[in-house]
Amino acid sequence: MTIKVGDKLPDVPLKHMTANGPAEITSAELFKGKTVALFALPGAFTPTCSAKHVPGFLGKYSELKAKGVDTVACLSVNDAFVMGAWGKDQKVEDKILMLADGSGDFTKAVGLSLDLTPHGMGVRSKRYAMIVKDGVVKHLAVEENPGGLDVSSAEKVLAAL
Amino acid sequence: MSIKVGDKLPDVPLKHMTANGPAEITAAELFKGKTVALFALPGAFTPTCSAKHVPGFFGKYSELKAKGVDTIACLSVNDAFVMGAWGKDQKVEDKILMLADGSAAFTKALGLDQDLAANGMGVRSKRYAMIVKDGVVKHLAVEQKPGLDVSSAESILAAL
Repeated sequence: MTIKVGDKLPDVPLKHMTANGPAEITSAELFKGKTVALFALPGAFTPTCSAKHVPGFLGKYSELKAKGVDTVACLSVNDAFVMGAWGKDQKVEDKILMLADGSGDFTKAVGLSLDLTPHGMGVRSKRYAMIVKDGVVKHLAVEENPGGLDVSSAEKVLAAL
Repeated sequence: MSIKVGDKLPDVPLKHMTANGPAEITAAELFKGKTVALFALPGAFTPTCSAKHVPGFFGKYSELKAKGVDTIACLSVNDAFVMGAWGKDQKVEDKILMLADGSAAFTKALGLDQDLAANGMGVRSKRYAMIVKDGVVKHLAVEQKPGLDVSSAESILAAL
């Protein structure tokens, strides 16, 4: 079942790239006591994501922080190596936490999987954005068309804060 | 069952990145009438692959061609976007064809998949290298442990 506003996020470990290689981060560590703007997308290095979704959140970083967001995080069903490389490519520095849900466990647990097997991409994440306060979903916007960027944009998340 | 020397490769479509985006390439197109040095690895942008496996084949490109190899191809269970980006990062130009087996259909058909879900990587390919002539496996070397030994460019050159 898909997660909804008011639900607590499941505690599923994710990974991110560090100077010492991939490291685990639990959802508890990530979300506890914090306001997190989390956006997810079908794949690193894909056109809509690279051209608009990540740059959008990067461009609105200061405004998101000013509205009380502690962490801006980007999640995809790619491994930590790919997410780390993509973060460098997109020059997110330490502004956007690039989260790797390499086996799709978190994505499946929140019920936001997207089967892109016919496109040679396996099971991925839908494109969405959520605002999470202390682990509880306060706002959730899932794109009906994963190739488009509308309700899950940085602008829409800002407006919902 | 894993594929072995003498077997014909299954005709499973793969993808690669082109100037116009991801494009499909069938195993038939890839292998028909050609000698192909194919190496596969667990993931793009991973340390052993980036530091040694790809640069190894890149460095031996001329020697492989001189020994009759028509195509050098690198395969991973990553999508075409990632393989394209990794190819650029590794500066393979048109010397190594970066093949995306994003849904692992080819890798599973060969029986060379490995479950890296515990490492947050899902189902991937084992690290291996093969020499394929006209679609038939002539040489196959699968790494039995992490690292780069039997599937290196040097080992493939020696087997040609």
